[in-house]
Amino acid sequence: MTTHVPAAETAPETGSRKEPSYLDVTKGFWSWAGTLDHKRIGLMYLIGVTAAFLCGGILALLIRLHLWTPTGAIFESNAVYNQVFTLHGVFMVFIFIIPAIPASIANFVLPLMLGAPDVALPRLNLASFYLWLTGTIMAIYSIMSGAVDTGWTFYTPYSLQTQQAVVSMGLAIFTLGFSSIFTGLNFIVTIHKMRARGQTWFKLPLFCWAIYATSVLQVLATPVLGITVLLLAFEHLYHIGIFDPAHGGDPVLFQHFFWFYSHPAVYIMILPAMGVISEVVTVHSRKPLFGYKLLAFSSISIAVISFLVWGHHMFTSGESEFVMLAFSFLTMLVAIPTAIKEFSWVATIWGGSVALTAPMLYAIAFLIIFAIGGLTGVFLGTLSVDIHLHDTYFVVAHFHAVMMGSTALAFFAGVHHWWPKMFGRMYNETLAKISAVLILVGFNVTFLPQFAMGSQGMPRRYATYIPEWQIYHQWSTVGAVILGIGFALMLGYLIHSLFAGRKAAANEWGGVTLDWESPTPPNLYNFDDEPVVTGELYDYGQGAKH
Amino acid sequence: MAHGTDTSHGHGDTVVDHSHHAHVCSFQAFFGIYVVLLFLTFVTVAIAEPVSGLHLGSASMLVAMAVAAVKASLVMTVFMHLRWDTAMNNLAFLGSLIFLSLLFLFTLADHSTRQVADPIGGTPVDVKRFGEN
Amino acid sequence: MGHSTIVTPTPQGGFQTHTVAHHFKTAEQEFQSAKLAFWLFLATEVMLFGGLFAAYIYFHDVYPETFQKGGALLDWKLGALNTGLLLTSSWTMAMGVRASQLSQRKPLVWWLVLTVICAAGFMVVKYIEYSTKYHHGIFAFTGLFSPDDHYAPDLMGLAYPQLYFNLYFTMTGIHGLHVLIGMIAIAWLIWRGAQGRFHSGWYTPVELVGLYWHVVDLIWIFLFPLLYLVP
Repeated sequence: MTTHVPAAETAPETGSRKEPSYLDVTKGFWSWAGTLDHKRIGLMYLIGVTAAFLCGGILALLIRLHLWTPTGAIFESNAVYNQVFTLHGVFMVFIFIIPAIPASIANFVLPLMLGAPDVALPRLNLASFYLWLTGTIMAIYSIMSGAVDTGWTFYTPYSLQTQQAVVSMGLAIFTLGFSSIFTGLNFIVTIHKMRARGQTWFKLPLFCWAIYATSVLQVLATPVLGITVLLLAFEHLYHIGIFDPAHGGDPVLFQHFFWFYSHPAVYIMILPAMGVISEVVTVHSRKPLFGYKLLAFSSISIAVISFLVWGHHMFTSGESEFVMLAFSFLTMLVAIPTAIKEFSWVATIWGGSVALTAPMLYAIAFLIIFAIGGLTGVFLGTLSVDIHLHDTYFVVAHFHAVMMGSTALAFFAGVHHWWPKMFGRMYNETLAKISAVLILVGFNVTFLPQFAMGSQGMPRRYATYIPEWQIYHQWSTVGAVILGIGFALMLGYLIHSLFAGRKAAANEWGGVTLDWESPTPPNLYNFDDEPVVTGELYDYGQGAKH
Repeated sequence: MAHGTDTSHGHGDTVVDHSHHAHVCSFQAFFGIYVVLLFLTFVTVAIAEPVSGLHLGSASMLVAMAVAAVKASLVMTVFMHLRWDTAMNNLAFLGSLIFLSLLFLFTLADHSTRQVADPIGGTPVDVKRFGEN
Repeated sequence: MGHSTIVTPTPQGGFQTHTVAHHFKTAEQEFQSAKLAFWLFLATEVMLFGGLFAAYIYFHDVYPETFQKGGALLDWKLGALNTGLLLTSSWTMAMGVRASQLSQRKPLVWWLVLTVICAAGFMVVKYIEYSTKYHHGIFAFTGLFSPDDHYAPDLMGLAYPQLYFNLYFTMTGIHGLHVLIGMIAIAWLIWRGAQGRFHSGWYTPVELVGLYWHVVDLIWIFLFPLLYLVP
């Protein structure tokens, strides 16, 4: 039921609002901790995942600084190094990237784009947040109680012989998995049932299509990870033998199960990023997206193909030659819809009235790095090449180009794009542009040397290396420091903007999707009047600011 | 409160919404399906090798799974109302079976083709047998 | 946005009125949203159990003799009895949902009580099976696996017999956990149903728990021949 407050009593200083914004409507700790409002839950996630990104980022900096010298500069033992990179992986993959865009940005933006007052299942949304929080606390507990040193993939049999904390980490991931499932499930139902009147499927902004495809993956793939980590915990506690060769089990089966989830999981990471980029590119180029339907269907086809390729993680693990060939071939198929997307974005920018705003700079950085990450993926999907490159820094650089250089950058593009809508405040744009450039430069200085030394055979997950590679490692560390400065600067001006930023315009970028039609910041139930979709999608024709 | 529209306090109306209509199955339909399910359970048991001594060889697993699939589809279509449900709800549930079959397909394809180049074939070289030390 | 309160039609006879949540425009939208969400949740259950089934079939392929002789040590009569109990409960549950659709308050409660009784019967049989195995040294989990003279001769010379039993305990254990959760949910339905909470205007929880219960049954339909009648 709507708590209708007469406008005159609580009208904020703008004076033009009919209802108070969702930030002002109630105050106090419990009004946030117990909220069912998708926008507040989205912001709580935003704070949470940003904190996780900071933790993971500091660990990454420590790893890079350690590798300044061939014998290792920081950690006293190789075991500590193993624990640090495992924590970096677990934090970045399970606690930051997977929920980053869906649970924070999409939580905030998706119902607005659909013209809905909330997600379909607000209680489940809050439950999902608390599951995420519980999973994160459990992960931190398992760090305190003896860090895990298996890498984020927990391959058996090593993960069965190492420390007991694998059990609590496994249960943490089980919990985080259910948080992810509930978010995805909620968004599928929301997109099906909560669309505004007149909003047919092909009038959905592309961000919604991307989130829809992501959600399908979350719902279908994550349960298999759940049962896998559960069996791993049983295996560790009671030696049930399924994954343990000493008891007749098969470690390759563990890898099948693990990658059945974890390969689609990389698309859980990248698909929402693609959605963000679609929105940012069209708004800041003031041009409808090129190839709307192709972009929409490519999201769905990426989601489907992602279930057919997981074996390319196991080319050197002992799966049969026959399935290796099949997986290698199927992997190449991913390149088709992915390339469609990249070309469509470039074609959208081409001939547009491009404004080089901060979100647009992040999006352009995404386009550059994603091309690198995507193309090196084709190298790695090629069976014969992968035998050489497997478990080298080439792989490390490849997936960082996709996860960090693409997904994390798209996440920040989205944060900058919707920041005025979220808080009604604008950050310092000059600083934002400087940080975007720093991050683009820093990323390439960090990871291009890693491609080079990886192709020469530098293996991943080693605390030491031969002196010939020192120059590459040092360049990589310099790049990591530049990245760190860029992110620190971003954090600084974003927090500063909350207190001292200028007031954002009602529609800061002149966007034409429904999310920009709500008051800024939105009302508790988003819109003053129920929105109805009549015109074309992405129609910048009349009244567009050129 | 019964049918009709009455005005509650403040600025709101209480509106009675009659939009929801669902399919209701007859007692006979449910009972008929139940009897068929029990019969098929009897069939499953009756043709099983440990019970009947029937030697169907490698087909016995397939037959058992086929009967189970028929039972499952009866439960899904009638007891769970999928027959009368929306296309999307059908897709949501049946879609999971399609994706699950991918897990089965590739995992088993890997296992059954390992022998081609690898004489061990994924079976442990040094099998420990019960009762041996 | 709209400030009117939407309720669903409430039949005569002491039923409670259901108010549609504020963010939905119609009762139909609310019902269909809950149902689609629940079907998706059931899809996750299928995928979760699917992993276990994949492991079972995989190892059945690797150690066919172990699985054949291990399966012969389970009592197929008890398994068949349990199948009958679950099928019966599935039918009574379907009848319960029907009763709620027709606003039959007392029949709803009685069909649900029958369902819980069958479920409890299932758990009792499961307990008998587990404890028999336990007394003969067939423990869940490898470390304690030490079959006594009753079973040891049948297992002699088999490759990793504990792997079969561990899969059996894991699969039926996780399934049994689902039965227990279902029993709690149905008990809650009985309590609220007796108060007249569910009727033709609003029976969403009965519908959803019903769907859940049928999935528990579906999984057992496959578990029974796989585990007890292994060819």
